[in-house]
Amino acid sequence: MKRKETREEELHEEIRNHLEMAAQERVERGAVAEDATYAARREFGNVELVKEVTRDIRGWRWLENFAQDVVYGLRMLRRDFAFTAVLVLTLAIGLGANTTIFSWIRAVLLNPLPGAAEPERVVELESLAPSGEWVPTSYLDFLDFRDHIKLLESMSVAQPMALAVGDDVYVERVWGEVVSGNFFDVLHVQPELGRFFTGDERNDAQNAHPIVVLSHAYWHSRYGSSPQAIGATVRINRTPYTIIGVAPENFHGSMAGLSFDLWAPATMYGQLTATGTWMLRDRKTRMFRVLARLAPGVNIEQARAEVRSLTAFMSKANADTSEGMSATLLPIWKSHYGIQSGLLAPLSILMGASGVVLLIVCANVANLLLARTADRRKEFSIRMALGAAPMRLVRQLSTEVLLIAAAGSLAGLVITAWLSGALRWLLPLRDAPKLLAASIDGGVLLFTAGLALAVAALAGLAPALHAARENVNDMLKEGGRSGSAGLRSNRLRALLVTSEMALAVVALIGAGLFLKSFYIAKGIHPGFDPNQVALAKFNFSAAGFDAQQADAFCRHLREQLERQPGVTAVSYADYVPLSIGAGSWEDLQVEGYVPGRSENMKIYRNLIAPGFFTLLKIPLLEGRDLTMQDDASHPKVMIVTREFVRRFVPSGSVLGRKVHGWGEWFTIVGVVDDVKINRLTEKAAPYFYAPVRQIYRPEMGLAFYVRTSGSVNEALAALRREAQAVDGTVPISDLTSMNDYVGVSLFAQKIASSLLSVLAGIAFLLASIGLYGVMAYSVAQRTNEIGIRMSLGAQRRDVLQLIAKQGLAFALAGTVVGAIGALILARLVTAFLVTASPADPLIYAAAAAFTMALALAATAIPARRATRVDPMVALRYE
Amino acid sequence: MKERYQNRIELLQGTLDLLILQTLQWGPQHGYGISIAIRNRSGEILQVDTGSLYPALHRLEKQKWIASEWKISENKQRAKFYRVTAAGKKRLTSERSRWAQLSDAISGILDPKKI
Repeated sequence: MKRKETREEELHEEIRNHLEMAAQERVERGAVAEDATYAARREFGNVELVKEVTRDIRGWRWLENFAQDVVYGLRMLRRDFAFTAVLVLTLAIGLGANTTIFSWIRAVLLNPLPGAAEPERVVELESLAPSGEWVPTSYLDFLDFRDHIKLLESMSVAQPMALAVGDDVYVERVWGEVVSGNFFDVLHVQPELGRFFTGDERNDAQNAHPIVVLSHAYWHSRYGSSPQAIGATVRINRTPYTIIGVAPENFHGSMAGLSFDLWAPATMYGQLTATGTWMLRDRKTRMFRVLARLAPGVNIEQARAEVRSLTAFMSKANADTSEGMSATLLPIWKSHYGIQSGLLAPLSILMGASGVVLLIVCANVANLLLARTADRRKEFSIRMALGAAPMRLVRQLSTEVLLIAAAGSLAGLVITAWLSGALRWLLPLRDAPKLLAASIDGGVLLFTAGLALAVAALAGLAPALHAARENVNDMLKEGGRSGSAGLRSNRLRALLVTSEMALAVVALIGAGLFLKSFYIAKGIHPGFDPNQVALAKFNFSAAGFDAQQADAFCRHLREQLERQPGVTAVSYADYVPLSIGAGSWEDLQVEGYVPGRSENMKIYRNLIAPGFFTLLKIPLLEGRDLTMQDDASHPKVMIVTREFVRRFVPSGSVLGRKVHGWGEWFTIVGVVDDVKINRLTEKAAPYFYAPVRQIYRPEMGLAFYVRTSGSVNEALAALRREAQAVDGTVPISDLTSMNDYVGVSLFAQKIASSLLSVLAGIAFLLASIGLYGVMAYSVAQRTNEIGIRMSLGAQRRDVLQLIAKQGLAFALAGTVVGAIGALILARLVTAFLVTASPADPLIYAAAAAFTMALALAATAIPARRATRVDPMVALRYE
Repeated sequence: MKERYQNRIELLQGTLDLLILQTLQWGPQHGYGISIAIRNRSGEILQVDTGSLYPALHRLEKQKWIASEWKISENKQRAKFYRVTAAGKKRLTSERSRWAQLSDAISGILDPKKI
């Protein structure tokens, strides 16, 4: 800058010298001093212009002009404060929405493994059932993968687990991951303090190494970041564990968007769940997630081919357990674990919708700028007449737009910061690890800046070029007359407002489709009655219970609850219908039924206690319900569903038929009606129920159901109180009414439809403002014409029609284009519209009617103003 | 108006550079001096426009064909004096030969009999 100033001074002095010398010479030739100075100046020409051209040579011009433009732009924007505020606010909405959703996408999808080095080389290995469905991997399969696949540098299991930390008096529920010894090697993470798993701790000996690594946050909150924590003992699920290390602050675990508190060896799984050692030694107990790092120079396709050929071999070698099974590799962001699997679709849809809002914002801003450009024609023409180059005007206007865009993106970032925790709204998280808050980092800032630049270019360039293309003389003439914009400008504005309406119609139809889909799904009867039922889940493995202890707890709690006033029924089961995420299945073999060659006999099931069907009002069609006698010491029994019978027992008697599962034969003792298991919108599939007293699977925990004739809240309070009285160390979760709980199954649709409705509302509001602006401007422009028409005998009705027609023409064109666009785009979201057709005529008609009504309203005000024009005033109107 | 100047710069560009470099051959000179010298030596025919002269001087300086320094003029005034550099001298030679070629070519077209 210093250099530039001296140069500027030098140039100034150089030219002053020139003028002085020229004047002096004239004086020497006998001229009067004053005349001489004047003549020298005249001969020299326009001093400022010479300076400017010379400066151009030096290339200082750009920066100086820019500074000048900024100062001038700020002055203009301050003068038109209302105008600026509207623009900045509009942009803030558009940019804020996009930045917020981008920051979520970044946290969940783009940066799934913060703290890991080269995270893009980390992949997930998912086993595939014969039906092609993904399933978790058994520990034995994992060992085979780990020991035989060469194209994967390292491999680890990782399984999230709710754990109880503390003593008999007080336990704290935390979320941890059980992992292989080399978990941190796979992710390339170094300890912040202490060490990670080493030596013997990495072998496969079960329940031999009660050691644990803490997260930075947990270390900070529990141990005040003290180095003494290393070597200290912590009780997890009633067993003492030794703390060996602390993970770095930016590392939160292996699941996108989630934050874990500690990591324990997977070989401790049996001890943590009080199941002994069999679960890791059973190839059919598929419950682990597998992470791997690609070997250097290997791409995912090559590694996937190796995995596939190994599984082809394994499915034959272990035909008894793995026939038809295979496995594949997925990049982390496509993983079925973690929150991204549920968020990928809603986030993409939201990103699309907020993109539409941003386009409308662009059109609105462009429209406002065009109107203002038209108002400033006189200013521009004077500046051009004074010698400003057209490009200079373009730059001036672009600077103003950039300033507005910068202010808009700052305001948008404020919105984003404010909404950073709102990602939680998108997830029906009840009982899950903490969610990482989306943060505004460099990537997000870059995105916003890029977007703001794009918006400025899109919205600002057209008006700027427009202003520059005008002919000075025409402008001065036309501008002096009525200040009306040229035909071209009007056409551009008409195009803009029509596309705005079209975009708003697309948003409206989209929201309508999702809303309708949601309400249809909501109306579907699930086959059971969730009203007046209180729920709570108990985690027995965290309490260190074995099957007997859990059974005693449940029986005791049930007796206590049945004594509560208002309670009409109590039961428990290991699965709640319409939970998020599929339940468990079992490979079945039905007596007398021969499955097809590749038929999937993995049948979903629930493990229940007696009274379950009566409590949920599920009709018993045949046979009997379970009783307390159906326990471990009596023959195994099961109850099957109507669809199970239809498929597997088409003829003959159902009751008494044998079914093979869990390595044993069960007898069918009853048939119940079908209910919705995973989704309200699903078709009936075979399903069965087995007594929880005969098959105990602690890893799922158990859910207690309490039906009451009184208030559900009282029942919930009773549940908590009585559970505490029976045994306070059993962690409770998901204490809620069953209605709320099953409502979660519609969560994605509910959230998509409500957020889309909000975005569509914003889109529509903006488009209406745009239409109103164009119409109001058009009326102001045509005041003269209207005056002439009226003085020639036009009635108010004619004028009203004239204006309304124009406005409605925009809306109609927008509706038609928008409807066609929506029809095309709706195909992309068909998969999410489980119940509504993407071409639902009712929604299109409603959207069109709504658009026209709003357009009428937006047009009515300017049109009425037009009818009040006094012909005499109008003709004189300047 | 600015374009008018720029047009003239373009028109005169090659020749004005040549004239400036040639003028500075006779010794360092300030901007006003250069314009007077060109006017006088051309028999008052060539009037150098200041709007072309200063941009040209600054451009030549930027290309390091001339250099400048502030000195006291014969009228005891501080002025910015330009002098031709070694690179500028080389440039002058090539510019001169190009000019000779150009003027030969043009006279050839205007008066073909001479060839």
